[in-house]
Amino acid sequence: MATLVNPADINPRQVANKSDKKALLDAIRMTLAVQSPAVRRNTQTFNRNRYAATALLPDYNELKDRARQIKESAIANLPELLRQLEASVRANGGHFYLATTAADANQYICDVLLRHEAKLVVKGKSITSEETKLNHALEAAGITVAETDLAEFILQVADEQPSHIIAPALHYSRERITALFKRNFTTDLPLDTGEELTKFAREKLREQFIAADAGISGANLIAADSGSLMLVESEGNIRMTTTLPPLHIAIAGIEKVVPSRTDFGTFIELLPRSGTGQPLTSYVSILHPPLKAPSFAAPGKTAKPREFHMVLIDNGRGRMREDPVLHEALYCIRCSACLNSCANFETVGGHAFGGETYSGGIGGSWEAGTGKLLNARFSELCTGCSRCVPQCPVRIDIPWLNENLRQRMNLEQPASAAKSAFGAMTGSAPEDRVAPLQKQFFANYHVLAKAATRFSPLANAATRLPFARSLMENVVGLDRRRKLPPFPRKTWQQLHRDQQHGDRARMAKSGLPEVLMLADVFTNYGSPERGMAAMRVLREVGLKVELSPSLPDGRAALSQGMIATARQQAHALADMLLPYLQKGAIMCVLEPSVLAMFRSDYEHLLDDPATAERFAHGEFLDPLQVVWSIRKELADGQRSDLAQVFPASRSPHGTRVFYHSHCQQRTCNAAWQTIEILRFCGFDVVTSSVECCGMAGSFGYKREYYELSMAVGEDLFAQVRAAEQEGGPRTLVASGTSCHEQLWAGMGREVLHPVELLVSTLG
Amino acid sequence: MGWPSEEHFSDTTKNSVLLRHLRCKLSFSMQQAVAQSSLLADFTTAAIQAVATVQVVDRSPTALRDAILQAVGDASRILYAPPHELPASLFSDFATDPRVVANATPDEMVNTAAGVTEAFAAVASTGSVCIDVSYECTGIVSLMAPLQVAVVAAECIVPQPRDLFRADVLDGRGLERDFVFVTGPSATADMGPLVRGVHGPHKLHIIVLR
Repeated sequence: MATLVNPADINPRQVANKSDKKALLDAIRMTLAVQSPAVRRNTQTFNRNRYAATALLPDYNELKDRARQIKESAIANLPELLRQLEASVRANGGHFYLATTAADANQYICDVLLRHEAKLVVKGKSITSEETKLNHALEAAGITVAETDLAEFILQVADEQPSHIIAPALHYSRERITALFKRNFTTDLPLDTGEELTKFAREKLREQFIAADAGISGANLIAADSGSLMLVESEGNIRMTTTLPPLHIAIAGIEKVVPSRTDFGTFIELLPRSGTGQPLTSYVSILHPPLKAPSFAAPGKTAKPREFHMVLIDNGRGRMREDPVLHEALYCIRCSACLNSCANFETVGGHAFGGETYSGGIGGSWEAGTGKLLNARFSELCTGCSRCVPQCPVRIDIPWLNENLRQRMNLEQPASAAKSAFGAMTGSAPEDRVAPLQKQFFANYHVLAKAATRFSPLANAATRLPFARSLMENVVGLDRRRKLPPFPRKTWQQLHRDQQHGDRARMAKSGLPEVLMLADVFTNYGSPERGMAAMRVLREVGLKVELSPSLPDGRAALSQGMIATARQQAHALADMLLPYLQKGAIMCVLEPSVLAMFRSDYEHLLDDPATAERFAHGEFLDPLQVVWSIRKELADGQRSDLAQVFPASRSPHGTRVFYHSHCQQRTCNAAWQTIEILRFCGFDVVTSSVECCGMAGSFGYKREYYELSMAVGEDLFAQVRAAEQEGGPRTLVASGTSCHEQLWAGMGREVLHPVELLVSTLG
Repeated sequence: MGWPSEEHFSDTTKNSVLLRHLRCKLSFSMQQAVAQSSLLADFTTAAIQAVATVQVVDRSPTALRDAILQAVGDASRILYAPPHELPASLFSDFATDPRVVANATPDEMVNTAAGVTEAFAAVASTGSVCIDVSYECTGIVSLMAPLQVAVVAAECIVPQPRDLFRADVLDGRGLERDFVFVTGPSATADMGPLVRGVHGPHKLHIIVLR
């Protein structure tokens, strides 16, 4: 085995491009060792503030719909808008240049600056200029570039790529900035507070602002009808960049163009709240340059007339626009909500979960769209937990983009006889059989689980053998440190059949519809008792419950980017369930990741839009959503209310519980009912506030990601410990299979499903 | 970009005395349109949350002069961008103060403790003031000095930022101009903790004219 470099010695720049998988793995090690505390603190602050700030917008959802609509129509009409914008900019007295490539844009900007004999350029923050590597081009032309956003200033001193799309140096703690400045500047100042560091940088940069020959800014939005820019910031550096020097160049991607300045009204409400979680940042400039006010002349110099150039770049965006999937990424307004609401991103930041320029859930599509597909390899860190989806102000289905990138990367893999045979044996769709063995293994885990359940004592003994674990680690990349839950002796369906032969189910209450419980493969082969408990709870409240056959739903395949396999499985499952749907049964799904699959992924997978619609809209419920939906009938009927059916006081587990809902369950708005019911029954419930437990299906099992998964889980484990500080232990309760496995691994204790907790009260 | 931490929200309490004072003052002027006064109250609350200070004064040259001079304290020089919306006569008392410089040299621009401008609009939900930066030196005066003083007329407070992009609000003034929504002082968290006072002003004082 090769000797490992100390993670702290890994240079972020060297692992910025992750087309080579080793770079991704090194970057994860480096960020976990060095950057994680600062990244966690900063992203989680953004995340909390965003929830608070968007909750204050009474028409948040309508604004998101409108923003989405504006972006959809803008991207659809982009060529026309660009023509209109060019005319507007010229009418304002500015210059307009549409660059095809990054090199074109850089060349144009260099030419303009050289024509003006510009020696010193101040730059406001522009991630587009990071994409084009503008600074290198300018420095090669002999022009000095001063990055004036303090985060960009830090990155310029450190020579690192951004780690976040709006706070590019958020991976730096105050202590590390002090150390960096001490290494790079000669100063006697202590620089050991945020104020001192800010003052030090401000004084250095103030001189540059005064002396600058030109200012380069980006743009958050551009209005075609008036050539207006919207520029969002808090430090004042963008105001100085656009106001002081006589020459102003704005560089932006073509996707920033919206039809009208009136459209800014929608985005100004959404962008700062979705980003930093502020109602507005300190400064939002609305300019249609060149400004009428005279430029600033340094003391002793005369003011020059103003000149403005708008440089828009395509650099792959035109191709993205034609792409049936990636065109969605062009709607992105770069607010960073998808970064801050992502548990993996919160733990490692954009130096691991990001490429040379763009980072986070949306970053993969941008790196692939403006560069090579393999540059998006870091998008593997998107586990599809879906927490970003409701946060996106333009409603981009980010997990779907990443699953597609994964599929495209799978398809670039060379075929092999072993992969092809393994795929045929386990049920991968023919086109997915080029996918790596690991992906095919996890996509078709139910096939192996089915076999293992049949021979469970043998399988359980085998998985405990070090030799077997090492084999599994080497062949399919299942990390040997991860505790494997034992395979049950009987499946859910077998247990259900056994029960039907013996003690008959309680009489169903008349008037209530029948419930069909889906025997999802995770519960059927993994935790059949939990499935039985769910059925028992439903029967206790008077419902007649049937169990469906057990078919894979496509979740596992989709998460591996094996979309053809997922499609196949989705169609088979839909065919099986449709007759029940048509009968009007309540469709109940125990595993939240499957519920989420129906709600938000089947629209992509099923051919018939009408069927997809039925799966998407509320006809499938979590078991406790079912209970919640009939609680009124319960209270009115002969049977007493829930608290009398499931009194917490009778639970052998005690009344104190810690409940962790599943990430996708929360996105489906299907978690709060569980909390309400548990509380109603008398349980003292403390809930987690993490976005995701870190296990995310197969993610935490993979050798490459085991450490990251456990690091993500640490936030959840810490919340359990904190909740138990007062009053002692709490019973751990979670709704997802993955969350169970993660909590079990991290806390070393039994974890119950809410339905098991309720059943425990029945005595 | 700078960004706040949760401290952003907790600073409110510090200023609650001022807020109560304002609410109290409001109760004396109930004859005014109820809607306008509730906009003013919301504006004040939001501006204080954004760590600005707010003072509501009578619309007279003397009251305005007193308010500005009180805000700038013992600054030895005060940059002043004469108004284009408000009547210049309102500033007549203030403008005669010997420390006031209306046509600053570049050197004075960068070395003065306070800058005074008008704002053509303000936003109730965010506590922002809107500064037109196309006039002579309004942009620079509102940007370079550590203390920014903005003077706005109460009837120019609009409910939400989006209203500045409507043709039927303030005669559509927000749709044509080059302007900046200024919300609190400049700030950053790029250096670790939240720091107020970066490239732009370190303090923002807003004077609302009744």
